[in-house]
Amino acid sequence: MARRERAASERRAVVPRGAAARAADASHLAPLPAPAAAPAPAPVPALAWVSQQMQGELGLVSAPAELWIALHLPALVVESVAPSPPGTAAGSGGEAEGRRPLAVFDGAAALPRLVAVDAAARERGVVPGLSLPAALALEPALDARPREPRRERAWLARLADAALGFTPRVSLEPPDGLLLEVRGSLGLFGGAAALCEAVAACCARLGSVVQLALAPTPLAALALARAGRPLVLAGPERLAGALAPLPLAVLRWPDSALLRLAAMGVRTLGAAQRLPRAGFARRFGRIALEDLDRLVGRRPDPRRPWQPRTAFRGRCEPSFELEQHEAILRHLEPLLADLERFLRSRQSAVLRLRLVLRHRAGPFDGRPRTTSLELGLAAPEFEAARFGALFAEHLARLVLPAPVVAFELRSGELQARVARSESLWRPGEHGGAAGRESPALIERLRARLGPGAVYGLCLVDEHRPEHAWRAAEPGMERASVVAGREPAGVHRPLWLLRPPQPLGQGPPRALRLLDGPERIESGWWDGHDVTRDYYTARDAGGALLWVFRERRPPHRWFLHGVFG
Amino acid sequence: MSLLKGTGLAQLLEHPAIWRGRSTARTATLSTGFRALDEGLPGGGWPKVGLTEILAPRHGVGELRLLLPLLARVGGLEPPRWTVWIAPPFEPYAPALADHGVRVERQLVVRTETPLWAMEQALDSGACELVLGWVRRAQPRSLRRLQLAAGRGRTPGFLFRALSTAREASPAELRVLCEPGEEGATLRLLKSRGGARAPIDIRWCEIDGEA
Repeated sequence: MARRERAASERRAVVPRGAAARAADASHLAPLPAPAAAPAPAPVPALAWVSQQMQGELGLVSAPAELWIALHLPALVVESVAPSPPGTAAGSGGEAEGRRPLAVFDGAAALPRLVAVDAAARERGVVPGLSLPAALALEPALDARPREPRRERAWLARLADAALGFTPRVSLEPPDGLLLEVRGSLGLFGGAAALCEAVAACCARLGSVVQLALAPTPLAALALARAGRPLVLAGPERLAGALAPLPLAVLRWPDSALLRLAAMGVRTLGAAQRLPRAGFARRFGRIALEDLDRLVGRRPDPRRPWQPRTAFRGRCEPSFELEQHEAILRHLEPLLADLERFLRSRQSAVLRLRLVLRHRAGPFDGRPRTTSLELGLAAPEFEAARFGALFAEHLARLVLPAPVVAFELRSGELQARVARSESLWRPGEHGGAAGRESPALIERLRARLGPGAVYGLCLVDEHRPEHAWRAAEPGMERASVVAGREPAGVHRPLWLLRPPQPLGQGPPRALRLLDGPERIESGWWDGHDVTRDYYTARDAGGALLWVFRERRPPHRWFLHGVFG
Repeated sequence: MSLLKGTGLAQLLEHPAIWRGRSTARTATLSTGFRALDEGLPGGGWPKVGLTEILAPRHGVGELRLLLPLLARVGGLEPPRWTVWIAPPFEPYAPALADHGVRVERQLVVRTETPLWAMEQALDSGACELVLGWVRRAQPRSLRRLQLAAGRGRTPGFLFRALSTAREASPAELRVLCEPGEEGATLRLLKSRGGARAPIDIRWCEIDGEA
């Protein structure tokens, strides 16, 4: 009990109740420890404070109906353009050793200006807003790349996919935010602090620096995350107080409105909340007022849920050309891990995968060349390790026509995954289940020998011997066509020659005909008609053979089967 | 022997890993379907785990018929397992197999230039009830690998080889030489753990009699 009170008083010290109400300019009253000015504060040390802060927080107040985690990605532009290469520690792009300072410029403008830079570039004085020539003058070794909104969006979508592991309600907040509604997930993940840590760790694993905040309304969470305050606010009571010192810029209103507000001396959310509502709406529009209402939960703020993709598609553009299978495999691994995450979050699996390798353009025609690898599986599969092993077999057989500059992985249609129990025994032991091993065997054989080299058998209801069976996709189901049996007493050889082997014109002298003829005339309707007399014969070596004579001229003899 | 009965030593000698000279090894076996052959083979049938070599002068002299009763009997396991045919010389003819009671849907044919590799994979996987392989030439070392794989996967493997390899050393559990006869075949056990030394005559009509 004493601890609870202490926690409560500490919090009061941190966010003085009614502080916003007393002062017009609340900036001197902002005692929250996280520095808002730092552009990319590391999220992990701040989270330690979060967990202390919120221990009392959730215990004391009754949690509201919704809780939102907002993720703000301050380095999204840089991360999407230059993802950390595999093998290096995940983090902001500039941390990797031996990498040139990186800056991203807006290629669309007439005078390209930098929109984002990494830490190494910032150290050398290259900051966003510089024009590209000025930046290059400052740092000649600058790695300047054009901005790619498509990849930013894809980067965000990738995080959203991963976030689906924490809650089904994820929504995108373009260009650089993500919202997760986590009210229902608290119990599973062991409370808000543990959940926030898990989300932050997940983002770090994916190579993203995030600023994270938890609040009862989505807009408040976003505002806190953008301001870089890793705050966990479970109750609506303290919301207004916590938001009051935040700069107005976090709401991303148009610059003109912000300038006019600043001219009025209104620089924080608290100050804006205190303005007369009617006048505020008249000057800055209803939308701005509604934003202020949404911030504290006075207005509902529905969000469009993120619709996950129905098929996986991943690209990798390594920074150098790949010539060796091992290098391709190593770069493929993160994509396969993405694929596994993608499939796991959907409880599904795939039967087909396609890997498209794009090669360096030819020296003469300049056309890009591609190689396509199709991976067909005997049973739906989702594990990255299995895909990796099969691709390794495929790549080992492949001769690359030119070095690979990029590749893309696409999944086929998703299949629902059927969970199966693992068997206690090794397969084959004490009648232990073969379960997963039988598709694995077929896939391994096919990966090495080609898809046509492994097949099952199937009966067909036909009188022509060569059409009475066909190679079929291996499947354990009982064949639907059980008919096609010849009447009893008719013997068929165990071996069939495909195609029949010609024996010559006259009756072969070395053969002794034992039985026959059995006349087979059929198939005139599909162009493969046969009119044959079949005999059983024994050759000089004692083998029992199945031979036939064509009834039409030139009456050739053929060997069609061996009785074994 | 009777003196030892019931004592600890006799129980010890019952252990399948112990094989004493010409005495019959106690290995788990699968019945061949031919009475004469069952009596002649150690343990009363084909070894249930490990490699069996069948040597024949050429393809199609009855070496497959020898296995037909076995082929017809397997395939009843749940969950289902494969009978794998690796690099067979001709196409296994499904209607004839079905006529003999073989479950066609559980046969898997593998066409390959590297039958030893494919056979090792199949034996090792434990997903097969029976593995049949046709191999032209093989080093004793690769045969040893097959034997080990069969042990790991606890699968019986049958290797069909040419007569000319009869003099080569082999790590197989059992080596059978098959010579065609008029209405059956004559089998000679080249290597076995205590099987019959005299040639064994079998008749094909036994198959049909059972079916």
